[in-house]
Amino acid sequence: MKRVGYFFLYLALIVVALFQILPLIWLFLFSLKSNQEIFAGSPFSLPSEFRWENYQKVWDGGIGTYFFNSVWITIAAIVFTVLFASMAAFALTRMKWKLSGLVLGLFMVGLMIPIHSALIPLYSMFLSVDMIDNPWSIVITYTAYNLPITLMILLGFYYTLPHEVEEAAIIDGCSIHRMFFRIILPMTTPIMATTVVINMIYNWNEFVFVNTFISSEKYKTLTVGIQNFIGQYMTDWGAIGATLIISVLPIIIAFIFFSNKVVEGISSSAVKG
Amino acid sequence: MKRKKTLALLLSAAISSLLLVGCSDSDEASSGSSNADTEIKFMHLWPEGSSKKHYDVVNDIIADYEAENEGVKIDLEVLSNEQYKDKLRVLSTSKELPDVGLTWAAGFLEPYVGGNMFAPLDDVIESELSDAFVPGTAEAYALDDVTYGLPLELNIVSIYYNEKMFKDNGIEVPETYEELLEASKAFREEGIQPIALGNRDSWTGSMWYMYLADRIGGADTLNKAIDRSGSFEDPALIEAAAEVQNLVDSGAFVDGFNGLADEEAKSMFMSEQAPMYMIATWDLPNFTTNEDVPQEFRDSVKYMNFPTVDGQGDMNSFVGGPGVGLFVAEDSDVKEEAKDFSAYFVKEWGEKAVEEAGVIPATKVDAASMDLPQMYIDILEELNQASNITMFADVQLSPEVATVHLDAIQALFGNEMTPEEFAKAHEDALSK
Amino acid sequence: MGLNVMNKVMSNKLYIAFYIAPAFILLMVLIFIPLLLSGYYGLMDWDGIGEKTFIGLDNYIEGIQDKLFWNSALHSFLLALFSALSLIIYLAVSIILASKIKGADLLRKIYLIPMLLSSVAIAQLWVKVYNPSNGILNSFLRTIGVENPPSWLADPSLVLFAIFVPILWQYAGFYILIYYAALKNIPESLIEAARIDGATPFQIAMRIKLPLIKEIVSVTIVLAIVGSLKYFDLIYVMTAGGPNGASEVMASYMYKLAFSSYNFGYGSAIGFLLLIITLIVTLIIRKVTETKEKLEY
Repeated sequence: MKRVGYFFLYLALIVVALFQILPLIWLFLFSLKSNQEIFAGSPFSLPSEFRWENYQKVWDGGIGTYFFNSVWITIAAIVFTVLFASMAAFALTRMKWKLSGLVLGLFMVGLMIPIHSALIPLYSMFLSVDMIDNPWSIVITYTAYNLPITLMILLGFYYTLPHEVEEAAIIDGCSIHRMFFRIILPMTTPIMATTVVINMIYNWNEFVFVNTFISSEKYKTLTVGIQNFIGQYMTDWGAIGATLIISVLPIIIAFIFFSNKVVEGISSSAVKG
Repeated sequence: MKRKKTLALLLSAAISSLLLVGCSDSDEASSGSSNADTEIKFMHLWPEGSSKKHYDVVNDIIADYEAENEGVKIDLEVLSNEQYKDKLRVLSTSKELPDVGLTWAAGFLEPYVGGNMFAPLDDVIESELSDAFVPGTAEAYALDDVTYGLPLELNIVSIYYNEKMFKDNGIEVPETYEELLEASKAFREEGIQPIALGNRDSWTGSMWYMYLADRIGGADTLNKAIDRSGSFEDPALIEAAAEVQNLVDSGAFVDGFNGLADEEAKSMFMSEQAPMYMIATWDLPNFTTNEDVPQEFRDSVKYMNFPTVDGQGDMNSFVGGPGVGLFVAEDSDVKEEAKDFSAYFVKEWGEKAVEEAGVIPATKVDAASMDLPQMYIDILEELNQASNITMFADVQLSPEVATVHLDAIQALFGNEMTPEEFAKAHEDALSK
Repeated sequence: MGLNVMNKVMSNKLYIAFYIAPAFILLMVLIFIPLLLSGYYGLMDWDGIGEKTFIGLDNYIEGIQDKLFWNSALHSFLLALFSALSLIIYLAVSIILASKIKGADLLRKIYLIPMLLSSVAIAQLWVKVYNPSNGILNSFLRTIGVENPPSWLADPSLVLFAIFVPILWQYAGFYILIYYAALKNIPESLIEAARIDGATPFQIAMRIKLPLIKEIVSVTIVLAIVGSLKYFDLIYVMTAGGPNGASEVMASYMYKLAFSSYNFGYGSAIGFLLLIITLIVTLIIRKVTETKEKLEY
């Protein structure tokens, strides 16, 4: 009886997994097809000829620069977001001050703003400080707009940290900064890794801000590289597929790395907990 | 204690680098690239990836211009269509338009002209481009008799059909609207969906409505309804709307057309799943020169003008209009240079665009001296004989009313609105 | 005495400022100033280009009376409801995955794949799934004998639900990732103790695991609801709110007004209303989940 249950459980889990992995296979086939095959044929049919030239086209389109920009902008924004959000979560959950409830509320409101409402005011703000067409405007925008969600996820975790840890540390004469960076941060590695993954996904795929604030080719990112293949009357879908594959590979690799961190962190914190 | 300090220092350094590094970076960028005496910012929507030929033609013209005008540098920014529109929108709120850019005609430029963003270009047309444009095209960019755009493209809409599919199924190519309905029914009986239509992009459905309005009510009825000397509640326009629903009910359009993008509908036509497709001349390369499209298909594509309805209508009256045109920003620091560049661009554009990129230009070109596919020659001939070109309704209308129009078109095609309600929706929006 | 020191350190204003300031300053400057500006633009009759005319609360009043807006709000609410309900499934899957079954790690990674792909790709895939003539779904329905399968994205009564499926599908991995991390953080000793006491896996899940991660669960409820109420991406690419507004949501309606119709003042007001509605809903949700938690104790 139990075995049958397990069998069906696995079956269900694997069927779901299939549904989640198919898009990747589909996207790969898509990237090797012509527009005709993409629209007329079945999505999972093999292309009549493998059009590797789609990748060549993408490469010639200067994807190297876009790629480099995506990487450093994504990483910079992640570092700032996760660090600042961790600090804020620490202050909001572990420290005692009157306005903490209000500040937390403000962060939650920050979660709710639709980006198209913010776009035009942000543009004029960056314009007034001469930061249009400057990649740092993108980095700080990503940082700010991912802070609320990152903070929310961290908060749920910080609440569950046992208070004894800090008490012990403080009584041992440990400074607050040492405690935060040496004890609290390492303890939250699994959830930090989770927020890193989430931030990575958001930053890597974002294009509305980049398109609006950046105009020089040298600062554009991969998502803008996709736009390069969308025309006024015609769109080169095969090349878009190739760009998407090129852009999804690093994020999958990074994801696998960080998602192992989720598990590693646990084993270390489990010892302490 | 020491550690605390270093950490605090590190962090404040991180924060200030966030805020400061940026600024120094932008200074560098602006001082680094201003070697040329005059810099003209030009924004267009033909990215290299999707519109290589357009992109190359533009770059050729720029290179020639820079060579002829020493000290002038054209600073280019290229975006895709949707992103271009959105960016123009954002830039305009901060009065930061590029010196030269692309605009659409009529309704689209209303808010920009209202906000004093576009420079009048009549002086340029008079001094350098008199008699350069196909009649009616530059006028499409005029408001209150002042012209704000130099047209680059001219498109007319036709019904393209797959001759081979007609032959294979023993169905006659229709010559009247009634025969078109018959042919559709015949295809349906063969299990073939007759007309490819991607009405999720409802400007495509709008073209069907406009042609029916033109044939039933004559060339002026719709224009008058739009310029408010007439009404959408005109019996002819109501009849046209009713005829749209008749077409829908008779199964003329492909299944689920209201959920299909134009691109999906086009691919049905191009993969021979549907024998007919209404589109404008910007798709001509797909039917003639585009090597990525099978030769066999290109050979079997023919076009017809929209037929007469119940014996009424003038088959030389077209739906269409200029596509994009150049604008010059009113508050540009280099306005005169920008105007000069625009004029040069338009002069160079015509022949290059038709020969190299397959664009039907809005400037007069000598088709006979060029090596063009037969379909281009035929279409250019149609244009010469055109008795009227009614501009796309969604271009003619102001952006706000255009949105209402496009939504109403979807509702009409989806049988969610009666022809009377359709008319009323327009009247309400226009009277606001 | 130890606690005294602790309290003193933990309520030191300088330290608090140091830890909260970077995030708070960014929040204020880059989110709240634009937010207030958009609320202010909402008081204007403005196409975004020409002169602004101050018209007081007219845009907001019009918004409250705008049937199209409430229609889109209803769609957003439905999405929020479905997103919140689907959390139960994600939670169940996460509990199963986190309970040391073989291959859990691999499965968890696979589940996140759709989230890694950009919306451009997801939209293209689902447009092909739903294509009425040669889409995957209708081809399948025809082979099992359905004669006239529906045109999913063209049918006003189906389109909304058709478009919810990819959204929920895409975000599944996101929530599973969060739940998994939270569940894995539960000390193994607690679960082991319960097991020795003879608790069934179901009991362990309900009595030990859920209460221990309830904070993160209530956070995800808020995230799901807020995310749904301002959702835009796939809907805009796949249907643009159509046909005839049948899949319009608040954010796409706002975009349409501000960017396509050049009704920037009114669009800003709608954006601001969206935020207020989201805020009210979130407060209600917080209240409801709070009382529930208290009841459990």
